[in-house]
Amino acid sequence: MTLDTPFHIGIGLDAGSRNFFHHETGPDGLLQRLDAAIDLITLEDRFARPDGGGLDAILFANWLGARTRHAGILAGAPVNVLEPFHVSTAIATLDYVTEGRAGLLAQTLDDEQIAAAKRATGPLNGYPADDRQSLDQDFDEAIDVIRRLWDSWEDDAVIRDPESQRFVDGAKLRYVDFKGSNFSVLGPSITPRPPQGQPIIAATVGAGNAAGGKADVDVVFLRTGLNDLPLLLKAASAVQPGLRYFADIDIDAGESKTELHWKTEAENVAARVRQWAFKGLSGIRLLPVRPERDLIPIVDHLLPALRAAGIGQTHQAKTLRERLALPAAANRYVHAA
Amino acid sequence: MSKKKVILGAQFPGVNNFTVWSDPAAGSQIDFSSFRHFAETVERGKLDFIFLAEGLRVREQKGRFHELDVVGRPNTLAILTALAAVTSNIGLIGTLTTTFNEPYPLARQMATLDTLSGGRAGWNVVTSPGAFTGANFRRGDHLPFAERYERAREFIDAARAIWQGGEFVVKSKHFDIVGRTDLPPSPRGGPVIAQAGDSDTGRDLAASHADLIYSRHGTLEEGQAFYRDVKGRLARHGRSENDLKILPGAAFALGDSQEEAEENLQAIRLQQVSPKNAIVFLEQVWNRDLSTYDPEGPLPQIDPEVSTPALAQGRASRVDDRLETARKWREIAEHEKLSIRQLVIKITARKQFVGTGETVAREINRYVQENAADGFVFAPHLTPTGFDEFVEKVIPHLQEWGVYRKDYSHGTLSGNLGLPRAA
Ligand SMILES: Cc1cc2nc3c(=O)[nH]c(=O)nc-3n(C[C@H](O)[C@H](O)[C@H](O)COP(=O)(O)O)c2cc1C
Repeated sequence: MTLDTPFHIGIGLDAGSRNFFHHETGPDGLLQRLDAAIDLITLEDRFARPDGGGLDAILFANWLGARTRHAGILAGAPVNVLEPFHVSTAIATLDYVTEGRAGLLAQTLDDEQIAAAKRATGPLNGYPADDRQSLDQDFDEAIDVIRRLWDSWEDDAVIRDPESQRFVDGAKLRYVDFKGSNFSVLGPSITPRPPQGQPIIAATVGAGNAAGGKADVDVVFLRTGLNDLPLLLKAASAVQPGLRYFADIDIDAGESKTELHWKTEAENVAARVRQWAFKGLSGIRLLPVRPERDLIPIVDHLLPALRAAGIGQTHQAKTLRERLALPAAANRYVHAA
Repeated sequence: MSKKKVILGAQFPGVNNFTVWSDPAAGSQIDFSSFRHFAETVERGKLDFIFLAEGLRVREQKGRFHELDVVGRPNTLAILTALAAVTSNIGLIGTLTTTFNEPYPLARQMATLDTLSGGRAGWNVVTSPGAFTGANFRRGDHLPFAERYERAREFIDAARAIWQGGEFVVKSKHFDIVGRTDLPPSPRGGPVIAQAGDSDTGRDLAASHADLIYSRHGTLEEGQAFYRDVKGRLARHGRSENDLKILPGAAFALGDSQEEAEENLQAIRLQQVSPKNAIVFLEQVWNRDLSTYDPEGPLPQIDPEVSTPALAQGRASRVDDRLETARKWREIAEHEKLSIRQLVIKITARKQFVGTGETVAREINRYVQENAADGFVFAPHLTPTGFDEFVEKVIPHLQEWGVYRKDYSHGTLSGNLGLPRAA
């Protein structure tokens, strides 16, 4: 059975200190096989984690972006502890590098993570206090500013007009003039409006964390046990019905699994997916438990088996927005005449 | 005595009037294909590194966005990391301010670029404080001008502590941070450090902390004086002359003959200094609206406005003594019978190497052998093809004379530059 609406498969990795794609770069390398088979890749950032922060996820995403051609790439960033201006220009750059496949995975931090992050950056003005309410509000504000900066140039701001000797039409650049509870950003961005206009913003929502579900995001990853998923989906989509919801599924390849194992696993996933798609889920995100072990069997066995079961057909789409069937992003500062 | 090796960097054409957009050959300033073309060209030419400048706020003139020059650039570290994925030997140096960044996030990003590029990362440390740029950042205008280098120095020390790998603990006047990294420690203590400040404190910071200086002093005499000054400061910090490379910014104009090259230069300069741009440049000194003046006519007789804040915002250079500068310029213009536009073309000329590929190569090599520089950072006037001709016509001569590499032999930026292994 094939699903009527496109159902998406993503893969969730983190930007640990190792880069498993480095050595396999040929046309049949792991990254190329993954790129061809998947709709999107998320890269979680490990900012100030106790065992070490790994690679900066936004930069790693730009590296991956230059080496892939199909998959959407969503770079993780703990926006509460970063400068929204830098995050906005870096994701816009990712969108230029990938010609429209970029996204931001806006990460919330739990209490321990925020404490570690603050030890690593020191006490600074302009950043939120440690309580949940301040963090949640700052999270929403940071996302708001990041988006406003993307709109701070009109698409046709660059005019290269010899007559008036002007490269840019200043009337098409705007101050975003954002004033939040902890910080303000004037703008405009130093980076022109990216190819998608608005790159995708995603957040992860679990039973204990609803912050991402209220912010101005396009995609939500639902992180919960299988039994709780329908409830979480229902609750989240009641608040924000227009978003794309993905279910997170841990994949543990264990040791030496057979072809048959993967076929059965794929059929199990496919059966669940049919039920969920019916209830409004747009996709699944596979989370390899140990990527250095699990990624290869996922790419070589699970994804083909899922495709054979009718899930995750690769559809033609140039940008990540198109792939997710999201409407073209209007510029908030341009009003239709 | 054996000849010094020449070091060459290529600056991606930036956000200022040296980047010509009115030429039919001028391409996108922002598409990845432009950066890729530029990087692949300079890597084909075996250059040492690509260099990107930084400006974190759109420039303004008289309270409006400055419209005449190329504007719009990518995030510096993001584009360099993307370029690391499509190149294998070229160094990748980005300009990043210590004022609107914090040590842990920035050091981690530099280490990420260094890891993903296999040791090709470089950081041009600038301070650029102020309320104008601060308006785009959480911390705002948080740093007094006088403390810019104190923070920069402590920032580099903090970054180097982080690059050691494992636990880091930094406690200084500006920083109080603790954490841990698990990226492989860099063999020479971290990415290459460049410095571009020109004041006495700026030069001292370079002498104690930097691997290379990007300088303004490109002529033979000024270059030699700067070279002596800065290299003379090294011993005080227990460093030798070879530890710090001095690379002035420069430009070039090529032709099949000297005459043709001079003509090309004239044409480029006229494109760079459009009539309106000439007026805007003058307004930076006069600090008043001069839009009614004829760019092809004489300089204003009226004196600069000295009592009001600067009209121009977001430029790296500052004009200190307006009245004296105006007096000097009037004198030059009267003496040489120059119009406003001709004067601006003259005043804003950078060091230019002009001639055939061979004469340009010979001059570059002479400057290096006569200790006016260890090499240059060249900024071409066109995006993205501005370096193609240089690679074809200039580099082969330097290679033939044995002062430039025929192929990469290290794969790391510090190796390219011939820096000692230990920082
Ligand atoms: C050749 C040169 C290039 C520079 N490029 C930049 C730049 O790209 N971005 C920036 O913010 N500052 C730039 N600066 C500014 C300096 O790094 C420094 O912050 C400023 O010159 C003030 O320090 P000083 O008083 O020591 O010169 C540049 C300076 C020089 C001399």
